[in-house]
Amino acid sequence: MSNKLSSSVPTDREVVLGILNNSEDALNRLYIGYFPMVLQFILNNNGDEDDAKDVYQEAIIVLYNKIRSGDFELSSKLKTYIYSVCRRIWLKKLTQQSKKTNNLSDLEDVVAVEVDLEQHEEKELQFEKMGSALVSLGEPCKTIIQDFYIHNLSMQDICEKFGYTNTDNVKTQKYKCLQRLKKLFFQS
Amino acid sequence: MRNDIELETIIEDYLQGKLTAEEAKAFEQLRLNDPVIDHRVVAHKVFLESLAQYGRVISLKQQMDHAHAGIDVAGLTEKMRPHPSFIVNLWRKNKSAVAIAASFLLLTIFSIYSIQHNTKQNGTYEVMRREITTIKNNQNKLVRTLNSTGPKVPKGLASSAKFGGTGFALTANGYLCTNYHVVRDADSVYVQNSKGESFKAKVAYRDVQYDIAILKIIDDSFTPLANPPYKLKKNSIGMGENVYTLGYPKDDVVLGEGYVSSKTGHGGDTTQYQVSIPINPGNSGGPLLDDQGNIIGLITAKENQVEGAAFAVKSKYILEALNAIPSDSLGKKAVFSKKNPLQGLSRTRQIDKIGKYVYMINVYN
Repeated sequence: MSNKLSSSVPTDREVVLGILNNSEDALNRLYIGYFPMVLQFILNNNGDEDDAKDVYQEAIIVLYNKIRSGDFELSSKLKTYIYSVCRRIWLKKLTQQSKKTNNLSDLEDVVAVEVDLEQHEEKELQFEKMGSALVSLGEPCKTIIQDFYIHNLSMQDICEKFGYTNTDNVKTQKYKCLQRLKKLFFQS
Repeated sequence: MRNDIELETIIEDYLQGKLTAEEAKAFEQLRLNDPVIDHRVVAHKVFLESLAQYGRVISLKQQMDHAHAGIDVAGLTEKMRPHPSFIVNLWRKNKSAVAIAASFLLLTIFSIYSIQHNTKQNGTYEVMRREITTIKNNQNKLVRTLNSTGPKVPKGLASSAKFGGTGFALTANGYLCTNYHVVRDADSVYVQNSKGESFKAKVAYRDVQYDIAILKIIDDSFTPLANPPYKLKKNSIGMGENVYTLGYPKDDVVLGEGYVSSKTGHGGDTTQYQVSIPINPGNSGGPLLDDQGNIIGLITAKENQVEGAAFAVKSKYILEALNAIPSDSLGKKAVFSKKNPLQGLSRTRQIDKIGKYVYMINVYN
């Protein structure tokens, strides 16, 4: 029963509530529910399944950020929204690859998503900056920062994980790492 | 260095709301006084948010990758791949349009079906009407189409009669009256009396307008008759008058009886009577007689599917036709004596006397 439920496309309301509650199940169902649509769209417009995956995941992130930002107001069906975002993203990618973008064959209705995507692009930029900054930060700083700030480990946990003698050392280390990371992040 | 770490910790605690109210207040005062610290707070805030966002996106991507792994991408790809067939692509891209078109089509078919269903009844009406119009427009000529073989085939004629009608004698020397439409297109005309004797005849006079033809028996074997017992009535006759006719709708003479139902004929034709009398193909050209045995008309036609509406040309026009024939060839003009020998006789006796003056007319062409 639950299996059957999870395989079906969730209702829009379920998705929004699920995302707000950080429900992994909701995400899974959302993801599985609309992937075929996007896959078909991309395949029919000079793309392959990897393109579809990238575009689709980006669209889900856009949706996530939009819902998480609090002022989420769905003016169309979720399906239409996701399709429109994917379409927009794919159009842009095609332009970047200077492939022909005219007469994109549409399979669904389209709503205007430009504003959402502009915001998304800013965030995407920051995401990439942060990613590259973390990469150039190197180990063990990267792991310490991630553990502390992303995985929310306590100083004590990190201390034990990395074998520091006391938490002050960890604090100092973390501080140094953070300064470097900040420098990398703001410089780039 | 030490101070910096402390400051950073305080900023972080401040941003995460971990400071007590007093500490927060003191710190905010510090921010106001020291722009450098304020800047560090703002920068740190932005940075931490970016970091948090980064973390969220990373974990989201992990979740999505996990979900993605559960999808049979290869299978889906195979299914979704642009189909080489144009039709399938068209179907995929225009599913909704096709659906709309299909439902519209369905609706149309249904509507048409129901309309047709309705017109079935309407059609019946129309057919009825059309038939009525036909009745209005077409008088059914009462020419009998004869079967190929039969006793009426005259001697010496291999071919069979095509049409049959009725005629009656006007004079003793072989002048007969019938309908023009009986002998129309005739190559040869034979008349046959009640005894079964057949004589060759020719058409002596045609009146297309009144549908009257006068025949002359030209057969050598014809022996002149006695004067016809009846007389042609010159005046018109009143409605409700009982009338009867003799005719050859079959190979023997048949009596039809009725009454004059209207002084005008088909479509208000004043040259005809409308007679309520049972007549059939073959009756055309038959005499219409009143109770006294006066000929008042010439049975011509009847209306289809209307009971008791037959038409007869008024006798006046028979006289007119007769007048067109040179009087000397008509022979004795005593035909229509003032005294009607049939007057006062019973119907049976009248018919008995009239019978031999009524001929079956066979037309060959």
